Amino acid sequence: MIRYAIGRVLAGVGVLWVVATLTFALLRFLPGGPFDKEHTLPPEIMRNLERRYALGGSLSHQYLDYLARLAHGDLGPSYKYVGRDVADILRDAVPVSLELGSLAFALAVAGGISLGLASGARRDSRVDRAVVLVSLVGVSAPTFVIGAGLILVFGLGLRWLPAGLWEGPLYAVLPACTLAALPMAYAAQLTRAQVVSAMEQDYVRTARALGVSEARVRRRHVLRNALLAVMTYFGPLLATLLTGSFVVETIFAVPGMGRFFVTAITNRDYPLVLGVTLVYGVLIVLANLAVDLLYARLDPRIRVGNTEK
Amino acid sequence: MTARAWVGAALIASLVLLALAGDRVAGYRFDAQDPAHALEGPSRAHWLGCDALGRDLLARICEGGRISLVVAVGATGLALAFGLAYGALAGWVGGRLDAVLMRGVDVIYALPDLLVIVLVIEVLSAALAGVLPDLWRRLAAIALALGFVGFADVARLVRALVLQAREETWVEAARATGAHPARILVRHVLPNVAAPVFVSAAFRIPAAILAESSLSFIGLGIQPPFSSWGTLASDGFEAMRSFPHLILFPCVAILCSLLGFHLLGEALRERLDPRGRA
Amino acid sequence: MAKRGLLLAWAAMLALACARGEHTPARELRINLETEPPTLDWNLATDGVSIIAIEQLMRGLTRLDAELRPEPDLAERWDVSADGRTYTFRLRPGVVWSDGVPLSAQQFVDSWQRLLDPATAAEYAYFLFGVKNARAYNAGKLADFGAVGVHAPDASTLVVELDAPLVYFPALVNFMVTFPLRRELVERWGERWTDPGKLVSLGPFVLDEWRHEYRLVLRANEHYWAGRPPLDRITAYMVQEGSTALVLWEQGLLDLVKIPSLEIRRYAERPEYLRRPLLRGYYYGFNTKKPPFDDARVRRAFALAIDRSQFPEILRDGDQPWAAWIPPGMPGANAELGLPFDPERARALLREAGVDPATLPPVRIVYNSDQTHKLVAEKVQAFWRDNLGVRVELENREWKVFLKELTSDPPPVFRLGWGADFPDPDNFMNLFTSYSENNHTGWANPRYDELVQRAAREPEPAERQRLYDQAQRILVEEDVPIVPLFVTASNFAVQPRVHGFRPTAMDLYFFEQVSAE
Repeated sequence: MIRYAIGRVLAGVGVLWVVATLTFALLRFLPGGPFDKEHTLPPEIMRNLERRYALGGSLSHQYLDYLARLAHGDLGPSYKYVGRDVADILRDAVPVSLELGSLAFALAVAGGISLGLASGARRDSRVDRAVVLVSLVGVSAPTFVIGAGLILVFGLGLRWLPAGLWEGPLYAVLPACTLAALPMAYAAQLTRAQVVSAMEQDYVRTARALGVSEARVRRRHVLRNALLAVMTYFGPLLATLLTGSFVVETIFAVPGMGRFFVTAITNRDYPLVLGVTLVYGVLIVLANLAVDLLYARLDPRIRVGNTEK
Repeated sequence: MTARAWVGAALIASLVLLALAGDRVAGYRFDAQDPAHALEGPSRAHWLGCDALGRDLLARICEGGRISLVVAVGATGLALAFGLAYGALAGWVGGRLDAVLMRGVDVIYALPDLLVIVLVIEVLSAALAGVLPDLWRRLAAIALALGFVGFADVARLVRALVLQAREETWVEAARATGAHPARILVRHVLPNVAAPVFVSAAFRIPAAILAESSLSFIGLGIQPPFSSWGTLASDGFEAMRSFPHLILFPCVAILCSLLGFHLLGEALRERLDPRGRA
Repeated sequence: MAKRGLLLAWAAMLALACARGEHTPARELRINLETEPPTLDWNLATDGVSIIAIEQLMRGLTRLDAELRPEPDLAERWDVSADGRTYTFRLRPGVVWSDGVPLSAQQFVDSWQRLLDPATAAEYAYFLFGVKNARAYNAGKLADFGAVGVHAPDASTLVVELDAPLVYFPALVNFMVTFPLRRELVERWGERWTDPGKLVSLGPFVLDEWRHEYRLVLRANEHYWAGRPPLDRITAYMVQEGSTALVLWEQGLLDLVKIPSLEIRRYAERPEYLRRPLLRGYYYGFNTKKPPFDDARVRRAFALAIDRSQFPEILRDGDQPWAAWIPPGMPGANAELGLPFDPERARALLREAGVDPATLPPVRIVYNSDQTHKLVAEKVQAFWRDNLGVRVELENREWKVFLKELTSDPPPVFRLGWGADFPDPDNFMNLFTSYSENNHTGWANPRYDELVQRAAREPEPAERQRLYDQAQRILVEEDVPIVPLFVTASNFAVQPRVHGFRPTAMDLYFFEQVSAE
């Protein structure tokens, strides 16, 4: 288990290194930077860059300098916001996205799995049919449709929840629900499929034949296997949700990473774009690692490292 | 086919019809401005109403349908082609090549989709500047970008299937007879892995439609005056309060097409690949 | 089952209660700035968003009343010499900065020096070119600022010497770039001197917090010389989507918003609606240094292809099509000037200039992200396509970044507005002189410069009108570096709990006049 964990961590670091190198290359060669002769940066920014960074020197020198600074959390200055570093800009934005993302993740997991369980266990009942229909709509509606719908109903119609901004816990509800809608629906579908097939598996029938109670059967066998299968979906999902959906943050005026990402792209502010990319990379690697380890713990058949006979 | 499959097929068929017939159904060009009727709701002259510049909404939705289909089919085709080749290679050859190729996939997964998509679109739009007319240039760039971020999933799937197939007895038999590995791969293995891949394609298309409309919604996809469903939804969102028809109809269009693909996809999955959700 | 229902009902009521409780507390105001202010440095700021915040933080020698006449603010009174060239301002006693340091005349001198210093590269440096030797100093021809016509003989007296009499000078010093400055603080903190905690100001409000791209918080200045303002706190959010801001207003979470153009019809009859016609022009500028717009004939052709009368139909927000530059309501305005809509002539001009629409690469229009600007851009795109056969591409940028791009790398066609800094035509006309850093077209015409300068000093109204007519003809009919489209109005939705909000025709807000229940 430990060996497996270390192996995965090293693999993660490797991936991050590749991403960091790619971003360095892109920064160097994309237009609008200090090395671009055609499009000049505003003088204040050039002065800043020259003052703080090794713009001269060989390519390898610049590269090593870049990696060293990354290790210290210095993501360089923004090309468009004078006097501000990418790290400063992201410092406020990243926690917001993390909060929103975790809330959405919790909703998607809890909601999706419970819906899937409830529906799978009562196949073809009214509950099941309702869940299937709703989850079908959930995967077929783009985020902006759901967001607009929620704003119209809960914001304007019922006046229950704020339609935007990020001033307190209540402000997170609509954006989190919007963000969670598609994953929840998809998770419900996945879980349901797993439950349906698990219920028909041999070992379940055996357990039933042996007289194990229905509830126990469901809890121990069906649930566990359903969870395992669904978890491969949740790993990458966590990272995606944590980095903040750009659409949701734009619609609801949430000051998170996703919104900065989009404006940075429109503004051609490449250091900021690539700073977000690196943060995203770190989150993905961490999330995948967590899921892999959790997966290993949960499934006794896959105690990675030692095979069981 | 189940009732649901029929519904799905019907929805898709209507989408294709609208996309093809488009202008003739509405009677207007999608970019013809008629300020006198600006922001009107559904009427005899304009069945779904008009937007802020007086452009007929039905015509714009049909145009949007055309754009969505072209991008989605293009992106899916590319993802399939590239993913098939990549995954089959990794799975069949195995060993170090496989390890390297799969690390490559890991790196792609670690990059934010949006970043890759936007970069590819930028680079390609510039590169294709003289070669294709404006709209086609943008469409090609978006399709290529979406195809590029999509191929990783396909590659993984194909690799797993190829790995499985390799162990099958009939494959071993074929090898034993001395047939050329490439021939075995193409003639025997691939046709058998086709079914799950085909099912995945059926779900890839709506995902591409979704991705393109989200991109256009935030302004990074299709540009004015062309109207993808995403740009229509974005315009409609801004005037949602007073003129809900502007966002309602494009959303219905998106919902129906995606629903159609999902229903049909489910039916296909039942038929062709009942065992797994890959 | 009954228990669950009860629990749900409880939760719903709690939620409702919470939502209600989010409304703005008494004596606080929540507004929407729409976008991040590019800067709070009043020597460097040039735009309408920054000025909203700056105007609450700082004031200048004078202020303009409701009829746009200058009245005393930091200057208690002023005298002008017989020849009209020397102004002596007596500063109001007892005014202190938020760190307790008293206001002194030298702080004005320091500020004007920084504005004019060529090393600062302030875009508004030309604003004070009427002051003796200011222009030479800014051009680097004069090293000693002492020779420039602004002095502080003692702590409460400011003496300004002008090159020539400028009747509107007292109105001119209401504008933010002339506000006093604490030089030692700017030197100490560098770029960060406007950060909350470092910014020292003397206006009715003080900067409490600035969370970039999200919100700015101002709190009342207890020691404001005119008395503590009725409001305790102003929170300025930066919600870019106009429709989201409007929904928030409807929910009572914002008190004051600008209504997006398309929604105005629905609000026009409501008591919360407020419209303010402005001395503000909306124009499209060309980068006259690069082809195809380096040829005046091409520029004229593109201008002739626009039918301004269609804009009110689309925008419905009180915009008045206007082909000249000086806005109606300002002295010197002339409705007869400007190019009409004449597509035939436009096409003929293009042929004459040797431009073939079919082979011309797509023309780029760049605008700052906003629903109205997008609509206008799409309209203009359609005009140029239908009337000239030219392909047009649209690009949008965030406001702050857009401004930077205009100075460093102006796009071929850009959209911009201009609101009066003081109510005199000179403020509009000197914008496009060759020495104005706010002129992003790269266009320079010495004859135009000369006309504008002469008009600024001309006391006789009829002669002034004549000079401005000549200058306007060059600007909007002959050389056409810009195409004026219309004159704008502001449309607000104001919550009933807010009293005293009276934006001026120069689009300035004075929140010390505002109270909120």
